[in-house]
Amino acid sequence: MLAYGFGQRALVGGLIIAVTCSLISFFVIVRRLAFVGMGISHAAFGGVSIGIVAGVDPILAAGGFCVLVAGGIGWLSRKGRLHEDTVIGILFASAMAFGVLLVSLAHAYNLDLMSYLFGSILALSWTDVIVAAVLSALVISFLVLFFKELLFFVFDEETATASGVPVRFVYYGLLIAMAVTIVVSIKLVGIILVSALLVIPGATGLQLTRNYRGVIVISLIAAVTSVVAGLFLSWGFDIASGATIVLVLFAEFMLSVALSPRRPYMARLIGRGKADS
Amino acid sequence: MTHACRVAEFFNGSVEGARTLIELEGVRASLAGHTVLEEISFSLDEKMFLGVVGPNGAGKTTLLRVVLGLVKPDGGTVRVMGMTPGELKHELHHIGYMSQQVVFDPVFPVSVFDVVMMGRTCCIGTLRFPTKADREAVGEGIRMVGLEGLERRPIGELSGGEQKRAFLARALCRETHILLLDEPTAGLDLPAQQQFMELLVRLKEQLGLSVVFVSHDVNVLARFADEMVCINRTMHLHGKPQEVLGSEKLKEAYRCEFDFLVGVGGQGQGAGEDG
Repeated sequence: MLAYGFGQRALVGGLIIAVTCSLISFFVIVRRLAFVGMGISHAAFGGVSIGIVAGVDPILAAGGFCVLVAGGIGWLSRKGRLHEDTVIGILFASAMAFGVLLVSLAHAYNLDLMSYLFGSILALSWTDVIVAAVLSALVISFLVLFFKELLFFVFDEETATASGVPVRFVYYGLLIAMAVTIVVSIKLVGIILVSALLVIPGATGLQLTRNYRGVIVISLIAAVTSVVAGLFLSWGFDIASGATIVLVLFAEFMLSVALSPRRPYMARLIGRGKADS
Repeated sequence: MTHACRVAEFFNGSVEGARTLIELEGVRASLAGHTVLEEISFSLDEKMFLGVVGPNGAGKTTLLRVVLGLVKPDGGTVRVMGMTPGELKHELHHIGYMSQQVVFDPVFPVSVFDVVMMGRTCCIGTLRFPTKADREAVGEGIRMVGLEGLERRPIGELSGGEQKRAFLARALCRETHILLLDEPTAGLDLPAQQQFMELLVRLKEQLGLSVVFVSHDVNVLARFADEMVCINRTMHLHGKPQEVLGSEKLKEAYRCEFDFLVGVGGQGQGAGEDG
């Protein structure tokens, strides 16, 4: 696969996306933003449809649309006194319906639209890879530079506010970082499956350790290995790459559940190991 | 003059008698259009322990939020260490705050050390990372509350009393002059409550802190506070614990029978210790 240019681009692009998703996945899990991620990713369909119908780059259109939806979720849930999940339920379905209406009016149901729904990593261009790298660098910079503020905010928002942490900036920053990550990941696994990349790596890490550094490292390993293994398996067996990546990730998660120190048999095993040493 | 200079001048300047750290004069505040506080006036002198009591919904938490500058008063004046709430937002690392209840996922992957380090966030500053001095301050905070040896333990694995002590360490491991505590003993059993209060009073003396302690438990506060304020939307009482305990206005504020409110033991304790 790596002998071909498209294979190299897929691997480099996939690794960039895996690293970004694994970092943001930690916050998605501890702040319980999985449904927000699903909402934003499905809303991206509206943005892609605008792009296809208007003749603009669909990913660019989805980017703008997702950032708006993410900001809307934050604003409505904070100001409108509605629960986050209610707001997502409203925006997610409405944006998707808007997208369906738009493509049906423009008779634009085609293969291109399907590639956004289910991913087309083997069709990545070097420009796509560079855009993904730049956007990922922005997201990672935000997460690293504001890590202590983010951690305080997701653990105890009230005390963080009372301590002068700019919680509004941190909250909207996190939602926008999620939106950007989702848009960057659409070409990898598609709109339908992208939420798996935001949820499963962090969930896998949390099964195995109770230390946030460990969770992030395991999340990173899970995302990177799933992308590499998923790409090679899909190439080898000639199957859909996005779905294969998600299923490898799921297998890794199931393995982490089985090996979790919280399982009684694992706890006994670890206890015996400590006693022996 | 920078805000940091103002705090330094406030504490180093030549002031005769005790400094007044918090001053509220005729404060009114509302939440979502509903008046929550009316004509609240009191002051907190340096190294004093002020107990704020009142029934549920009396506006006690809002009062703390007004002091912190998180709720903008509709009227009246607020001064904390000589600063207005707008000026104070750059100096919040001089105030330690403990909220009523920290609701967090029991499997949240942070250790005691990580939680206490959160208290240093405002000292470290934006776009900066913790230094050796920050890690030492966190270690000292943990030691002060008696949690040494548990630094690496996940916060969710601690008992309720230990978690409260970790949150107290978080409030202390900055340049704390004032401690604002919002029902910090809520949810603890009686021995754990007593342990927490004794630790708090010891640290207050040791570190020269000024404390505002909000609670609906009149008995506990009467035993430990230097002064008490009773509010129920408006000020009902302000005085020494024995004066507050002996007042009919306390019954009015809580709208229930006096014996039920303070109990025979509580009244005796308060009067005995402070009188």
